[in-house]
Amino acid sequence: MNNKIYNEEEQKQTGMIRDLKKLPKIKAPENFEFNLMTRINNKNFGNAEHGREKFNWLKFLAPSAAVVTAVILFFIFLPSNEQIDNSFTGAQKMIDSQSITGNSNAAGNELMYKQGNMPDAAASKNSQIETRPKAVTPPLNSLRLPFGYSRSVSLDDYIRGGNNSGDMQRGNVVNSGDSETPFDGFFVVEKPDQNTLKKERARIDSLKNAKNVADSLKKIQKLP
Amino acid sequence: MNKTLTELKDEELIKEFQDSNTIEAYEILVKRYKDPLMNFVYRFVGDRDACTDIVQETMIKFYLNKDSYRSFAKFSTWIYTIAGNLAKNELKRRKRRTIFSISNNDDEKTPQIEDKMFHSPEKIADGEIRNEIIEKALLKVKPVYREVVILRDIQDLSYEEISEITGLATGTVKSRINRGRAQLQKLLKHIYND
Repeated sequence: MNNKIYNEEEQKQTGMIRDLKKLPKIKAPENFEFNLMTRINNKNFGNAEHGREKFNWLKFLAPSAAVVTAVILFFIFLPSNEQIDNSFTGAQKMIDSQSITGNSNAAGNELMYKQGNMPDAAASKNSQIETRPKAVTPPLNSLRLPFGYSRSVSLDDYIRGGNNSGDMQRGNVVNSGDSETPFDGFFVVEKPDQNTLKKERARIDSLKNAKNVADSLKKIQKLP
Repeated sequence: MNKTLTELKDEELIKEFQDSNTIEAYEILVKRYKDPLMNFVYRFVGDRDACTDIVQETMIKFYLNKDSYRSFAKFSTWIYTIAGNLAKNELKRRKRRTIFSISNNDDEKTPQIEDKMFHSPEKIADGEIRNEIIEKALLKVKPVYREVVILRDIQDLSYEEISEITGLATGTVKSRINRGRAQLQKLLKHIYND
């Protein structure tokens, strides 16, 4: 069946096939053999000498291995912009800010009290009582430091050798299932800077003065 | 001795060359095959200089790799396979060059057989012009079909020999020849319009 199809096709193309057979035969140049033998005698084999290279796994995998290594190294040593969440530095910042704001309020009240600018003496007494402790003891317990307060020690006592309850307490902490981070350490609470205090006091003082002036002006306006 | 060698068949000559490294046997084989190979490669590549280089390279490969020939195959198919592979490599190289060329202009590369279509029937009847048109049309046929058409219709090889040279099944060879001829006829429809 297939042969029939091919024969039919061939019959259709007979003229063309006949012409293809009649195409002039191309002959090699006169000096073909001479050139060939000269090349062979001179061992000038050109590209023909180099056969097809054998497949080499090492050569095949080398470029891909280099690329993979480069990618891995890139991700390992990539400089990250993310800041590492260091709870110690965070805690220090909170301590600084709270001590400054707390002290500034306290300082302001103290100044007002000394200058006698407070309108109500009783109120000033109460405010003094309320504000002073806030300024002196910053709310350190509200901070979440990465070590347990129950197990922290005073640095001075520790140096003097006064804190000798270490091992027993540790055992108790473990037994009672305390979830706080098992970290032995200490921290130092910084005292507020005197210069900052002075500046804040001066600022609050000027504000109070301005307020007093405004109040006195109002009172004068109200007078008939 | 030489007279005896010339009377030997191809397979006997290459055996002589393999066994005794007789250069005369090699020379006789070169003499026998240089023209058929030139004709085959020229029709395939379409460039005389490149064709000469390819046939030279074929002969050098034959000289260097004489031991890779096995006596169960025909020498003619073996040497045609080498020449065909080199010709295909040359075509691939040209294609790559065309792709990467900055001034890539297909019109310059491809033969302008369409121009010849405007020849008068009298001129087409002229053998030389007719042959030129056919040659250029042949170069426009896809290389996979062109190779088998040349081997069958120009080199007069059998389907079995072509199958051995190309490494294809005989059925595939037949269908490719048929497709190649159909493509060629389509390109030459102004000549073979019936």
